Amino acid sequence: APIPPPPVQRWRRRVRSEYMRLRQLKRLKKAEEVKAVFVSNRVKIEKQTSILNGEWSNLRIQSVPLSSSDGPAATKKMCTVESGFPGFKVQAVAMRPLSTVTGIPFMYSWSPLQHNFMVEDETFLHNIPYMGDEVLEQDEAFLEELIDNYDGVHGDREGGFISDEIFKELVEALNQYSDHEDENEEEAATAAPTEKKEAERAIRRSSTEGKIPSDKIFTAIASMFPYKGTMEELKEKYKDLLEPPSLVKLPPLCTPNVDGPFAKSVQREQSLHSFHTLFCRRCFKYDCFLHPFHATPNVYKRKSKEIRMETDPCGADCFLLQKGAKEFVDQNMLRSQRFRKRRRHQLQQQQQRPASASCPGPSGFAEESKDGESDHETTSSSDGNSRCQTPTKLRPVDDEAEQPASCAAEWSGAEESLFRVLHGTYFNNFCSIARLIGTKNCKEVYTFAVKEALIHRVPLEDGGILPQKKKRKHRQAAALLTASALSIPDNSSNQVYNYQPCDHPDHPCDSTCPCVITQNFCEKFCQCEDECQNRFPGCRCKTQCNTKQCPCYLAVRECDPDLCMTCGAAEHWDSKVVSCKNCSIQRGLKKHLLLAPSDVAGWGTFIKEPVQKNEFISEYCGELISQEEADRRGRIYDKYMSSFLFNLNNDFVVDATRKGNKIRFANHSVNPNCYAKVVMVNGDHRIGIFAKRSIMQGEELFFDYRYSQADALKYVGIEREVDMS
Amino acid sequence: MPSARNSGHIMSGAGCKANGAVYPASSAMLNSVKKPKMEQIQADHELFLQAFEKPTQIYRFLRTRNLIAPIFLHRTLTFMSHRNGRSNAKRKAFKVDNMLQTVEKMKGEQDSPSLSSHLQLTFTGFFHKDEKPSQNSENEQNSVSLEVLLVKVCHKKRKDVSCPVKQVPTVVSSNEFEPSNSHMVKSYSLLFRVSRTGRRDANGLPNGEANENIDVRDTQSRKKRNSSHKEEGDTTETYVAQMTVFDKNRRLQLLDGEYEVSMQWMEDSPVSKKRATWETILDGKRLPPFETFSQGPTLQFTLRWTGEASGKSTAPVAKPLATRNSDSSGPMETRTSHHRATPLAVKESVSTDIQMRKELIPCEPRQKLRIFYQFLYNNNTRQQTEARDDLHCPWCTLNCSKLYSLLKHLKLSHSRFIFNYVPHPKGARIDVSINECYDGSYVGNPQDIHSQPGFAFSRNGPVKRTAVTHILVCRPKRTKPSLSEFLESEEGEMEQQRTYVSGHNRLYFHSDSCMPLRPQEMEVDSEDERDPEWLREKTATQLDEFTDVNEGEKEVMKLWNLHVMQHGFIADNQMNQAIILFVDDCGAHIVRRNLCRNFLLHLVSMHDFNLVGTATIDRAMARLKQIQEELPEDAEERQERALLAAAGSCNGGAASSAVGKQGKRTKSALTD
Repeated sequence: APIPPPPVQRWRRRVRSEYMRLRQLKRLKKAEEVKAVFVSNRVKIEKQTSILNGEWSNLRIQSVPLSSSDGPAATKKMCTVESGFPGFKVQAVAMRPLSTVTGIPFMYSWSPLQHNFMVEDETFLHNIPYMGDEVLEQDEAFLEELIDNYDGVHGDREGGFISDEIFKELVEALNQYSDHEDENEEEAATAAPTEKKEAERAIRRSSTEGKIPSDKIFTAIASMFPYKGTMEELKEKYKDLLEPPSLVKLPPLCTPNVDGPFAKSVQREQSLHSFHTLFCRRCFKYDCFLHPFHATPNVYKRKSKEIRMETDPCGADCFLLQKGAKEFVDQNMLRSQRFRKRRRHQLQQQQQRPASASCPGPSGFAEESKDGESDHETTSSSDGNSRCQTPTKLRPVDDEAEQPASCAAEWSGAEESLFRVLHGTYFNNFCSIARLIGTKNCKEVYTFAVKEALIHRVPLEDGGILPQKKKRKHRQAAALLTASALSIPDNSSNQVYNYQPCDHPDHPCDSTCPCVITQNFCEKFCQCEDECQNRFPGCRCKTQCNTKQCPCYLAVRECDPDLCMTCGAAEHWDSKVVSCKNCSIQRGLKKHLLLAPSDVAGWGTFIKEPVQKNEFISEYCGELISQEEADRRGRIYDKYMSSFLFNLNNDFVVDATRKGNKIRFANHSVNPNCYAKVVMVNGDHRIGIFAKRSIMQGEELFFDYRYSQADALKYVGIEREVDMS
Repeated sequence: MPSARNSGHIMSGAGCKANGAVYPASSAMLNSVKKPKMEQIQADHELFLQAFEKPTQIYRFLRTRNLIAPIFLHRTLTFMSHRNGRSNAKRKAFKVDNMLQTVEKMKGEQDSPSLSSHLQLTFTGFFHKDEKPSQNSENEQNSVSLEVLLVKVCHKKRKDVSCPVKQVPTVVSSNEFEPSNSHMVKSYSLLFRVSRTGRRDANGLPNGEANENIDVRDTQSRKKRNSSHKEEGDTTETYVAQMTVFDKNRRLQLLDGEYEVSMQWMEDSPVSKKRATWETILDGKRLPPFETFSQGPTLQFTLRWTGEASGKSTAPVAKPLATRNSDSSGPMETRTSHHRATPLAVKESVSTDIQMRKELIPCEPRQKLRIFYQFLYNNNTRQQTEARDDLHCPWCTLNCSKLYSLLKHLKLSHSRFIFNYVPHPKGARIDVSINECYDGSYVGNPQDIHSQPGFAFSRNGPVKRTAVTHILVCRPKRTKPSLSEFLESEEGEMEQQRTYVSGHNRLYFHSDSCMPLRPQEMEVDSEDERDPEWLREKTATQLDEFTDVNEGEKEVMKLWNLHVMQHGFIADNQMNQAIILFVDDCGAHIVRRNLCRNFLLHLVSMHDFNLVGTATIDRAMARLKQIQEELPEDAEERQERALLAAAGSCNGGAASSAVGKQGKRTKSALTD
């Protein structure tokens, strides 16, 4: 018998072979997955093509006429196929030459877009750009430099990479494997007492089932993959991974569907949390494509106090006709008004309903004492927060069953949540609340409100604070923004910085306000007062706002439809004809553009209808990327000798390479017929392309890529080439 | 002896030769260096060729092509209107009744295929290939005399009798062919005799270069002139040809038609003694019958039998350049004056030759306008000059007749060059340089290049075609022709060199598929929608990625996002309206999908953002309730579903659905 190698080495070998086997399995599995995806994709493509084919067959298309003008001469040309085998006849068919069709320029695929689209920085290089074998061979330094710019290349780490999943499987496989190995080893090596062996095996069995395999395995793995940690760490990790995955907790802030069967009774903040965090107040959309931060509404102030109390009963059964109801409402109204001046209370999330609450009544109110207790009068602007404040009671569903129906009607979790939501908006207008809830009448709502108010009396402990969460998907963009905001150099430079709504409740917009620092006006999205000195007042023009007489035009801003009420920017939403000529970008009043091979190079953009001088033609749209990302991408674009990068401001660059609109095909010219202008449009910088002179229909559009300062040059590949030489 | 003077000149074989060749010693000289060395001349010549050879070749090719298959006629251009020999004079006298007369006359002719009473001969030219240096129709006219004799061959007499010298009748009355009393005429034949006097180089001027197409027409003489006396020229060559009119059996041999008769050279001897034969002998060798037409001198004429002696010729008649004014006093009169064949010779004193020269004078005040072409090349540092005495275009040999027309023609037809006019005491100087801005871009009718196969016609019915405007009549306001427009202008010259032609003279493509844009797709901008398909899908997937947003919320958010994307709301004060529109558009869907409470949350959230008022919430919810009531069956369905869900048979709980299909993002995961 051969002398067995030392155990450590043996284990290492096992680890390696097992690892390879698992990797092989994974690869096969992945290949299968890819195949399946490919097949399903094929099916999709075929479906789509058959739809397209159907459309084409419906199109009124004449088949290409064969060049029959040559007549017999053309038909004489025969194509023949001869076979060396005797059995096959020579096949011949008349050649039918098709008329030549001139080719079209090269085009990389891109996605159409009419509004800028912010994307995150790419820290991983998705693929090594290919631009012909020669370039890469000649310029290896370029590739190395390129890869250095990124954290890594996609798929690069695969060799030697060990994921949690593989790790777990590896340990398990080795564990299985070790059992009989050890047996053999033991049998061969020593003649141990069978009882002992049995005992050992039992122990090992139990350890196999009971979870932690022998240290030998972890030692071997640790020696094979030193960067994954020591033996102990690996062991701990394995233990963690053994935790049953079934215990995946529901994300804490996910509220059950209010329309679903498991709707729970939750606080107002919780019910509205998703709506508040995801809504973009600037785009009016949820999780918009352009703005990384969405300010939550509790920092917004009510501009008009529009809560109208319905003093008249809504019907014969109205709660207002009940005894004491009116007093309750009035009192509560006072309370809530006072309450609004107060700092927000953090309410206990899981609060048990006190037994005394079972028979509530208007008489049981002791508001003052409670208020006094938590009275922190402030004059801060955040007092508006309390508007959302509602008493909270989270009642488990089981509780509901236990509690005898002391109230007139049973309240479901959804109804209770809805009540709290609406109470934050309608306050004690229970008639309206009842109408909106739909399933309860105002008396029931009133009764419930009284109950809730009673609960409210109970002193509250701080805790269960709802985090002031902001969804942040652009972490890098955020970092960049703060960096740029902090490193604003001197006021003399005519550099333009991105606008970010300011939010500093403690002081007015002074020299520390980010808007002031970046030399931007405060916009309607800022948290400052309407009377803020840094706010742009808008124009009062009655003309077209296309001269420097208009303050908006002078400040290179488009008219704000919420500020400029006289020029027409806030009218005729459905019409293309607006008296104000300074709101074309926001309304997307672009000209009809056409695409055709350019007279100069590649593709070109052509205009369908004639335009006047200074008329708006189109917005230059694309991906909004950071300057750093633009630097990285620009390096590749320079190699391709084609760049769609367009400097927007000091923080961002518009890249129309992957996404854009038809104006992206407009070529550069030193004697152009269009010009580009970065305009502040409702808080966003956007690039407008305007007519430099009157342009006739069918003319090709050109603009000067070097539209701004010299530093813009470095983002335009071709110009840079010229510059260097 | 009557003879006809033909104003036509001799067609030259050197038609395609261009300017340079004709000027063998074109005054190539450098103005700075007096006596340049040979190498210098050669080097300079190289530079000259480098600059001008290519475009000149192109224009010569185009000239030849235009001769073979003309795209347009120069005479139709406004600035070449003097080339148009046609006048509208006849129109003034036109009456509708005349049409009937004409037709009746034609009818009558057809009805009587027998002999018409008069033979009308219209001579169109005498061509002699051997004559190398051709004639210039403008400055120099060579003329020949033509005699036409009717030869009667009598049966009885032994001797050939040439009939009393018949005048050269254009119109021969048929009664001439009647048997005469004295003789029994056996056959009649026509004898043509052309005598030509060598008058060449009389005034020592170099002749123009090749004749061009139109010049051929210039050579046509519609009328022979009778002249009894010979020119005083020293050498006279005579060519003869004979054709039988009636043979012995009195059958007519010459029918209506155009004839080209091969002429034979003969000594200046009496014709009567010699019998013309159809055999052709050239240099003692017999030639195949048709060779003679390319070799020897030929006479072209049109023969017609007309019913009326005075009938006007219907043969195509072209008049020489610049004689259109003399229309009424011209050939027609002469013809009628001697329409009847008389034995007496009628003399025509005025030769066309002279007539033409006279008429040229008012066109161009200086009779011999000298034009200097100064070729600038090698960045306009070098120049070569050529002078010529006519107004022919040096590239396409077109006779422009006027300086203005020449300049205009050069500028418009030869845009590869830049021409600048400089007044000169002896005439004019034209500076020629290469147009660097010429890009050859197509400026014509888009239909001509993009016939757009497959788009124009269809078997399924009519389709739209590219709209093309064909200008039928255009009478723009024309400025008075002035030579000043060719003077070199200082500013904006380069800009103007590039011709901007407006209009959609190209084939457009769809930006998404790169497929050609069909004419009927021009009007709608199909690819510039605010919410392209991919973006709608993107917003949905992006929301689906959240793990801590429940299904109901997601669905309302998606609906709202699509609504905003579709309508492109931009202002806060649009929101109230937007919400009402949302209910109208998606209310039924919201009710059906059981999302009413989520929708209410959305409204309250909008209110929290201070975008809508409570009035809007009330209105929207009332509208939703109304929609709900209009969909009773859906409500039942919803109840059913709710029951099922409550019973637990439905797997879609809030908790499980919230975990989501593609849990990638959380709204709170990235919170600080």
